[in-house]
Amino acid sequence: MSGLRLVGIRKSYGDHPVVKGVDLEVASGEFLVMVGPSGCGKTTLLRVIAGLEAVDSGQVLMSGADVTQVPPRDRDVGMVFQSYALYPHMTVRENLAFGLELRKVPRADVDARVAEAAAMLELTNLLERKPKALSGGQRQRVAMGRVIVRRPRLFLFDEPLSNLDTALRVQMRGELARLHRKLGVTMVYVTHDQVEAMTLATRVAVFDKGVLQQVGPPLELYHRPGNAFVAGFLGSPSMNLFDARREGTALVGAGFRLEAAGDYAGDVKLGLRPQDLTVSADGPFTGEVAAVERLGFDGYVFLETAAGPLTARFDGSLPVEVGQTVRVRPNGDVAHVFSADGARALRHPEAPR
Amino acid sequence: MRWLAVALALSACADAPAARPLKLWHAYRGGEEQAIERAVARFTEETHVAVEVLSVPYDAFSSKLTSAIPHGAGPDVFIFAHERLRQFHRLKVVAPTTQRLERARYLPSTVEALDVDGELYGYPLSLKTLALFVNTALVTDPPETTDQWLSQLEATSDAERARFGLAYAAGDFYLHAPFVFGFGARLFDDAGRASFDTKGMARSLAFVKALQTRGFMPQEVSGALVKSLFNEGRAAMVISGPWFTGEIDPSVRYRITPLPTVSETGLPLTPFLGVEAALVSSRASRPDDAHRLAEFLSRGEATALRVNPGRQIPAELAAYERPEVVGDEAIAAFRRAAERAVPTPNTLEMAKVWEPMKLALRGVLQGEVSPEAAGALAERRYAALNREQPSGRDRPGATSPWPWLVALAGGLVAFAVRQWRRRGPPVPFARRYPEAARGLAYVAPAAVGIAVLIVVPFSVGISLAFFHHEAGDYTFVGLANFVDILTSKGYRVTEPLSFWFTLAVTIAWTFVNVALHLGIGLGLALLLKDPLLKLRAVYRVVLIVPWAVPNYITALMWKGMFHRQFGAINGLLAALGLEPVSWFTHFSTSFAANVITNTWLGFPFMMVVSLGALQSIPQDLYEAAEVDGASKWTQLRRITLPLLKPALLPSVILGCVWTFNMFNIIYLVSGGEPGGATDILVSEAYRWAFQRNEQYGFAAAYSVLIFFVLLGWTRLTRRLTGPEAA
Ligand SMILES: Nc1ncnc2c1ncn2[C@@H]1O[C@H](COP(=O)(O)OP(=O)(O)OP(=O)(O)O)[C@@H](O)[C@H]1O
Ligand SMILES: [Mg+2]
Repeated sequence: MSGLRLVGIRKSYGDHPVVKGVDLEVASGEFLVMVGPSGCGKTTLLRVIAGLEAVDSGQVLMSGADVTQVPPRDRDVGMVFQSYALYPHMTVRENLAFGLELRKVPRADVDARVAEAAAMLELTNLLERKPKALSGGQRQRVAMGRVIVRRPRLFLFDEPLSNLDTALRVQMRGELARLHRKLGVTMVYVTHDQVEAMTLATRVAVFDKGVLQQVGPPLELYHRPGNAFVAGFLGSPSMNLFDARREGTALVGAGFRLEAAGDYAGDVKLGLRPQDLTVSADGPFTGEVAAVERLGFDGYVFLETAAGPLTARFDGSLPVEVGQTVRVRPNGDVAHVFSADGARALRHPEAPR
Repeated sequence: MRWLAVALALSACADAPAARPLKLWHAYRGGEEQAIERAVARFTEETHVAVEVLSVPYDAFSSKLTSAIPHGAGPDVFIFAHERLRQFHRLKVVAPTTQRLERARYLPSTVEALDVDGELYGYPLSLKTLALFVNTALVTDPPETTDQWLSQLEATSDAERARFGLAYAAGDFYLHAPFVFGFGARLFDDAGRASFDTKGMARSLAFVKALQTRGFMPQEVSGALVKSLFNEGRAAMVISGPWFTGEIDPSVRYRITPLPTVSETGLPLTPFLGVEAALVSSRASRPDDAHRLAEFLSRGEATALRVNPGRQIPAELAAYERPEVVGDEAIAAFRRAAERAVPTPNTLEMAKVWEPMKLALRGVLQGEVSPEAAGALAERRYAALNREQPSGRDRPGATSPWPWLVALAGGLVAFAVRQWRRRGPPVPFARRYPEAARGLAYVAPAAVGIAVLIVVPFSVGISLAFFHHEAGDYTFVGLANFVDILTSKGYRVTEPLSFWFTLAVTIAWTFVNVALHLGIGLGLALLLKDPLLKLRAVYRVVLIVPWAVPNYITALMWKGMFHRQFGAINGLLAALGLEPVSWFTHFSTSFAANVITNTWLGFPFMMVVSLGALQSIPQDLYEAAEVDGASKWTQLRRITLPLLKPALLPSVILGCVWTFNMFNIIYLVSGGEPGGATDILVSEAYRWAFQRNEQYGFAAAYSVLIFFVLLGWTRLTRRLTGPEAA
């Protein structure tokens, strides 16, 4: 097993920079999930790791060795493409065996490993079919099986579940997690889905505009986001962010004044997770209800406040309706504080245990 | 009102016969056409008989005549060369002129040419024969004897500087005939059968061969080459006919004289004499008027017009006394040449001489056969080409087509019944097809079209294969044609005339071509697919050009480029310091020349198809394969080719069929050379039908066999594609 290290990776298409100097280390056996808004360069970075894309500068190291100039076939990586990219003219068995045959693995070994992977992915009775005759989920599993049989030192996944319906996605997510536990290999996984990121990852890397914003275990990123972008990107609904100013022990913004601890001064950005705010009879924020998202007994309200839009929880004890003016209060010490440009975190609340 | 119209119409009908103009058909062009039109105008002025003149394309002329006249739709008078007379006579399309023709008015040999078994046909108009054109700047005194001639040739030739004493289309038997007669050979024995293996023939061939080996004349000479060599002063002398005077550049000073006399035999080199005659149709509506017109055209003023602007050599003696002709040296020279010439025999046997002689001549000129052996070669080819009619006695039951027809009809009925029975349960017709009448009405136009355009010609073609055709007579011979073809009767299986040899050549031709088309097309497509290639769009267009040019033009261009002495390809080889290749003298090079031409024509199609198919392969498959560990080569072999297969297979199958029947290239580039070895089945079938004594039945049998070969091929490919396509 082996780790992966990216050092100062830069990549541009024409004069349009896509990856702007990424340094990242993935430990052996780790499940790293890359997230970020569309077009931020996740796929590009994954392709750089696989060797399908040449870098402008920087290094890719695997198990300590520089593989930047090594072609994909010699990097010993396996990649599951977003589109699956199954060979349409081969049966499932041939698709699975292709990579092994090319590596001149003895026939008996090939058969054994194909059978094993097929059993693991429940493909055994589909082996003689062509990809055309498979459902989306089955294709997905074949694409994964193709990587598994080869036992590469690094697995790369590019939004592998994005084409599936919710139920299948949940099931596949479980299988992926099981697979990772069972094989114990290093995996790099790109997704748009926060739940996937949170449930699968040992660490999450957040990208924006070709720059790595923060990397860390999912809960740490959630509770201690390194900057305003990460704070806003992770969590659903996303965090409320307001401009504020330090005045004594309080944070003052347009139409609100909130007591908050911490050692900082001047103009800042205040971040409050909707989960930590509740509609109540009193509180520092006042706003008009623009929309209500009811999840049953409780839910979220979307308010227009003087400082900007705000999302908060409500519970059944206090009925809310659109057009109503309500007050919102924080559930204790929940303020995240960032520098005014959002680039640095200045304070996080105590993490709950 | 209505009655008046009817009456008018009736009276118009009544007048019609008298007022109907005579119809005159000819195949002239240019000055000759003007001459005939003015002559006809003069005739109408004098006699008040209206004449309608129609110019018919030469290629179709003969067949138009023989099909139109028996149905009363043909001309009253037509102009044709005398070689066909016997055939016209047999088909009864010409009227005799024995009683009407004033023989003394014409050059005796021209009258002799119009004789068929003692009966004369037509009025001689003009003659064509061969004479020697001498560039007076290079040779002052035309040669009298061949010895003199040879020394002049020696003096004027310099092969190094591409200067020649003589140029003429030596591969054409018409131009070789003077030598045959000059060396004392006879073309026909006493029984009237063609004879080739004679001493005179061998000597004539040896003489001509020596002209070539000593560098006195260029190799592989075509008419166009003769013209350019003479006009550029690079050929001192040329053997040609009256038509050549129109091709000579005005700046060239020349004289025309009869061909010299052979020193060894004392005989003159004796060319053939061709006579154009005004022939009166056997079905002429007003025979007297028709004869008057025909005779008018052969005499007096009409002859004068024939000389000028027609530039023809008149057959009428009085014409040579006319002031405008007396001073015309060219015409006088051709008259002298004509006095030595022999009329081309109008016998059927004569028609059978051309191909064997061409084979012998080319064989000798290209050094394949010795002059001594060439006669025997021609003899054997003659025997093979002129198949005797398979006799009924050898093949019992072959005399009447009826048993066959009955058997065929029986078979068809049985087949139809079986098909009918096999289909579905016995539901009454009206219930099963409730809208049959309407359905039929919709289908009828297409069905009629298919019947007329496909079913009828196809059936006629198949039926023809059971007949032997000779000079207009069809005799039923049963399967004899097929048996002769399949047993290659009369020649060895390994000879070019054999069906099996030709089949093998055809198959080799097809596979080599398709493999090259596919290989080159696919290769270029793979190159052009690369989006990084600069000017990709330009290359694509340029590479499609060979496809866009009509293929016969391409074929003729390549034919020129393959020329032994003047072709671009040998020029290139010479520039590289390599020996020039005589492309059409060996099977392998001749075959290669055909293949090169056809590959040039064929690869763009495969390239376009491959490009389209390549672009439909998703790029991520290659990336997946790359990650899986496949090299570029493995990707091509394991991903690209298998995925292209479904798209390419139909094109390949189609390409095979096209190439299998690619007549144009074979006919125009190698022309079957050497000795028919590079002919494929279709071009061979064509030759049997149109160049070898009109053996339509035999040719039809060939076509039927071709049909079965291709049928077998499609069956085979269906099996190849079947599971894949499903
Ligand atoms: N082959 C290419 N040529 C030019 N630009 C490209 C190419 N591939 C990607 N890009 C650009 O690079 C940027 C990053 O693309 P990339 O596919 O890495 O984004 P992504 O983070 O995977 O987005 P998504 O989440 O939508 O898949 C985008 O702006 C895209 O338009
Ligand atoms: Mg992507």
